Amino acid sequence: MNILKKINLKQKLALTKSYVKEYFLVKKSIVAVGVAMVLSLLIIQITVPKFYVSAVLREAKPLETQGISIGGAPDGLFSDILGVAGSDGNYEEMISNMRSYIVAQRLWDKGWGSIVFGNGQIDEDYFNNIPKNHKLLDRLGSWILGYQLYEYYSAHDLKAFISDSVFPRKDIRDTNITVSMLSSDKEFAIKFIEAVILETDSYAKEYLIAKSNEIISASYKQLAVSKNSSISSALASTINSEYFKIATLNNDMPYKVYFIDPPHSSEYPVTPNIYAIFISAIIISLFLSSLHSFILKNKDEIW
Amino acid sequence: MVNDYFQFLDYGGTLYYYLFEFANFSFLGLLALYTYKIGLINLNSLIVWLAIFFTPLVFNYLLFSPYLFGDQFLYSGEAFLLKTNGQSLYQMNHIDFASKILGSIPLPNFMTVTSLAFSNKLLLFLTFLWFKRYFDDENKILLFFLVPSLLLYSSLALRETLIIIFSILFLISMIKNKYLLALIFLYPIYVLKLQMFAFLSLYFVAKVIFRAHKSNKHAAFFVLSALVGSFILESEILTVVNQFRIGFAAENFRVDGGGTSYAAWNLYGDDIAQALQILTIQEAIIKSIINLPQILLLPMPWNWTSLFHAFQTIESIFLVCLFVYISIKNKNYKNNEFILLSIVLLLSLMLLGLVMANEGTFVRYRFTLFYPFLLAALYIFRNKTNFSKF
Repeated sequence: MNILKKINLKQKLALTKSYVKEYFLVKKSIVAVGVAMVLSLLIIQITVPKFYVSAVLREAKPLETQGISIGGAPDGLFSDILGVAGSDGNYEEMISNMRSYIVAQRLWDKGWGSIVFGNGQIDEDYFNNIPKNHKLLDRLGSWILGYQLYEYYSAHDLKAFISDSVFPRKDIRDTNITVSMLSSDKEFAIKFIEAVILETDSYAKEYLIAKSNEIISASYKQLAVSKNSSISSALASTINSEYFKIATLNNDMPYKVYFIDPPHSSEYPVTPNIYAIFISAIIISLFLSSLHSFILKNKDEIW
Repeated sequence: MVNDYFQFLDYGGTLYYYLFEFANFSFLGLLALYTYKIGLINLNSLIVWLAIFFTPLVFNYLLFSPYLFGDQFLYSGEAFLLKTNGQSLYQMNHIDFASKILGSIPLPNFMTVTSLAFSNKLLLFLTFLWFKRYFDDENKILLFFLVPSLLLYSSLALRETLIIIFSILFLISMIKNKYLLALIFLYPIYVLKLQMFAFLSLYFVAKVIFRAHKSNKHAAFFVLSALVGSFILESEILTVVNQFRIGFAAENFRVDGGGTSYAAWNLYGDDIAQALQILTIQEAIIKSIINLPQILLLPMPWNWTSLFHAFQTIESIFLVCLFVYISIKNKNYKNNEFILLSIVLLLSLMLLGLVMANEGTFVRYRFTLFYPFLLAALYIFRNKTNFSKF
């Protein structure tokens, strides 16, 4: 009872009522809420709804290859002590490849540039000549400073598009990789994510096959001139190992990653969040109208 | 709206980001207006707190990239994941715990990385309402909540504000001799930051077991016992200290080839680890005394890379001067409670100086340690210290 007396609940309740009456239940606040609702509707109307499209991948186990271990410090000495995730070679390599020009170029050659920037026509003459619509400010800048803007879209633009819109994510201590993008066209996004992932994996594989071929070719050359039996034996072993690698890579199986969940889209658009926009607008309008009323009532004290 | 499973949408610095976060600010603004209306705060406090509530909108995205304090995404991600489907990525460690507390604050929107910063602001405001009750002049207390580092850290989705608040609650409870309550506040500090728990436990032991706040003799006995204890437990203490020294050095490690942090340390850190080892308690004491001025004044001028660092140094000097001012005003330094508080602060700073590596991180650690002690000192001399001449 003593605490209740100290708090003076009755008085606080009366003040709360007066606060609500003074600031919320007034014409100004009601008008402000109305305006906020209209503005929210406008914002929602001009916003393109975007779907969340994602695919879950798992890293494929690396191939066990023959070779000589070069040693090194044990992995994750401090990572284990301090709970920090260690380095993640496959994942990092996948990101690098995904955002590389080479993968973008390969996708471009398959006509993805036309789908992203043009009308989707898979014709080399067309998609290599899709004109760029530069902004007025960019044109003005190029005219003032005297440099040329690129006339047509290229694989570099597709590379930038991939970097800006396709997001790989691997959470700490998680074993799966999520590749996602937001798009208003979910059919396009599903196909595009799949193409990007497969092309990235295929490039990693082809790169290794090309590398193995080069190593084999160089080893054969060395083998032809080698007179030392132990060196010849090591070279032969290397050639065997590289042929083994090529044999395991030369197929349609995924190499670095494989799909756990193929690309799929959310049922509803995740942005704009209609409820959050309405609630936010109402709160903002109530605050601004209350603040305005408060300043008008207390302007002498404030200034 | 929940779509089959959790997705963290990074709204970046878009219109939506500002809409959702301005709504959070507006909610806190309405709360401030309400507290003014019911007479909990005065007009000055209302205006200042409206400005303080606005600061999260100024820092992330506008003044600097939120990736500058990248840990924010860990706390936000964890809070959103917990709110969406109850799953935790981190289970019972400091990220999970801090995210649970910050995510439980009733705010209209938890949509972006900055939302948790508004939770921090609300908790800080509640701390202000509680703390100012002990003082006659609300305006003077208000000034202590305008310290730039406090404004910065409470404007980010980090755990620092929680640590500061729980530390203040612990210290004030201790000063009021409410030991059980203090112990309750010590638990969240244990989960949130182990070092801080160790420092505050020192205060708890000194006061409850050694009664070091009773007289200078008791305080001297505590210091002497701590010294003797450290010699007896030399190897255990040095193992922990060396582990932290190497851990912090590894976190901050960079090599020319581009390798950073633990991965680079695992490859090249062995020789440095040897050099970092402290072998005796005497060496530890000497090193901690040498590092004391540095930890107090971080970041040092030769490490400044921006105006922000210069500003932090000025703030460090100001806070130290403020603490000294509180102690010499009215001969407050003769107060036994204050002597014990100062001893624990000094020991804690020395320990922090001993493991110091990355300046940016340690500026944050130093502030998190120093600020609650400053408010505790202020509390001891409540209504005795006049700052008008400072």
